[in-house]
Amino acid sequence: MYRWVDHTAEVELEIEAASEREVLEEAVRALAELLGIETARGDERRTISLQASDRPALLAAWIEELAFLAESEGFVATHVIDADLRPAALKATVTGVLDEPPPLVKAVTYHRMTFEPSGDGYLARVILDV
Amino acid sequence: MSEAQRIDDELWELPVGTVPGMRVPARVFADAELLAAIEQDRSLEQLANVATLPGIVDAALAMPDIHQGYGFPVGGVAATDASEGVISPGGVGYDINCGVRLLALPLEYDELFGDRRERLVHELSRNVPVGTGGKGAHEGLKGANLERVLSLGPRALLEDLGIGSDEELSFTESGGCLDNADPAAVSARARHRGANQIGTLGSGNHFLELQRVEAIYEADAADAFGLRLGQLTVLIHSGSRGLGHQVCTDFVKRMDERLGHYGIELPDRQLSCAPIDSPEGQDYLKAMAAAANFAWANRAALAHRVREAVGSVLGSDAARNTKTVYDVAHNVAKLEEHAGGTVCVHRKGATRAFPPGHPEIPAGYARSGQPVFIPGSMGTASYVLAGRPGAMDRSFGTTCHGAGRRMSRTAVRKAIDGGQLRRRLEASGIVVRALSARGLAEEAPEAYKDVDRVVEIVERAGLAARVARLRPVGVVKG
Repeated sequence: MYRWVDHTAEVELEIEAASEREVLEEAVRALAELLGIETARGDERRTISLQASDRPALLAAWIEELAFLAESEGFVATHVIDADLRPAALKATVTGVLDEPPPLVKAVTYHRMTFEPSGDGYLARVILDV
Repeated sequence: MSEAQRIDDELWELPVGTVPGMRVPARVFADAELLAAIEQDRSLEQLANVATLPGIVDAALAMPDIHQGYGFPVGGVAATDASEGVISPGGVGYDINCGVRLLALPLEYDELFGDRRERLVHELSRNVPVGTGGKGAHEGLKGANLERVLSLGPRALLEDLGIGSDEELSFTESGGCLDNADPAAVSARARHRGANQIGTLGSGNHFLELQRVEAIYEADAADAFGLRLGQLTVLIHSGSRGLGHQVCTDFVKRMDERLGHYGIELPDRQLSCAPIDSPEGQDYLKAMAAAANFAWANRAALAHRVREAVGSVLGSDAARNTKTVYDVAHNVAKLEEHAGGTVCVHRKGATRAFPPGHPEIPAGYARSGQPVFIPGSMGTASYVLAGRPGAMDRSFGTTCHGAGRRMSRTAVRKAIDGGQLRRRLEASGIVVRALSARGLAEEAPEAYKDVDRVVEIVERAGLAARVARLRPVGVVKG
């Protein structure tokens, strides 16, 4: 489950999910919604490989990569097909659609960023500069 | 956070200890009413966090237009010791060298009779690409060489395309070029994002405004700046577009990964930083300088496009005699001499404001002080200020940069209808051209603090003096 939280500067994405992979999937859905794309399954496929120092930084890098694909190729990811999540790396395959999304996300910030166990699942939070 | 202690009528202080790890106090220029507005968000907590940066000297400072940002507050100033301090990309912000350029037209408002004002604003909107992405974001100047722009700034446009002039370069902060720029320090992704964006306005709070000079406060300074009552001006507010955002993103991540190596602990990862003399610090300064040069070239290209629009509606003489008053950054870090030492002054949403006689301002402005432009919001006034000696004594040669946001974009969208706002602005005599009603609503006057009060505080504090007030008569927004 994700929700957009009001923030004086820009927008904050908060995600609660049962697993780490679901956090990544919710981020994909949230970004697709922000870019005005319905999450119907698309035929386009991309492989994403990332490295970052920890879970929160990996989540930031994940959203940044998704936003860059939208800005540079018009590719909006809608589904995660597979995800290999390591302590400081992530390799994933996503499917999505080619469109003309508004490149709203200028940057993914590290401000008050979290991605940690919470209750029976995980809580993640990231603030986007839009 | 309400621990602010009054120092004098315009200065408040959060003492060391307000948040753990503060090395110096945090100080904000404000009166009691503005302070109450500032305390509505978390900007003072962010300012106190800035005071934890290694090597910060004197105090973490904030201008009266401070509001909550990411890590650093917008409206913040932090000077770090050049030999023992850090450089923080977040202290500059994502939009490296976001700034403003003021153009003075050789015409008075009264000369925009009939439908000329509407035609001029329409032509400006046709000729200046707007928006974050899509077609409008990538209609950059044809023939602009990115490598040379990153190295030389607007001089590359002058030498390669004949855009601008030597006089214009002299009326640009730092001559429009930070000479430590190294294009090799700018990532491929950053280049990709900026490749076709030289001469594009962007979105958010970026705008282009047609104005008339409605008040003069210091006649000698106004005369030096080439401004007179009733004159038409165009204010351009834009920055380094996607390129600058990516440079900041790249270095926040890179420095965050090296914090442990340098033994730096921070209350917020967005304050990510590295020693100035470290490889990460030096690489950032080279990349930031390149992005700053890109932004100055962007505003020079936008000025060129404004001149084309002026020429098409008002004639070639009007275009040729449209002069750049000055171009000044409000998101940048620079090594400067203050109080006998070299410091790295981070200005994030804050403007350099050097006083009369300072060697880094143009000879023509030596007696007036450096021009500073303070955009209000659509529908309110903007100000031309001039730097004053108090800025060197109290704020590392810095003053405010705008009115300062007081409502979130979401909140203002809920409160304001973009279509109604457009009609309200037009009823008050402002021709509006905006890409979207939503974007227009986000920048409604209600979203900002009172620019008159912000400017009054920096003048009372001796940081800058009012020279002229500019009233909008046309707005182009991304």
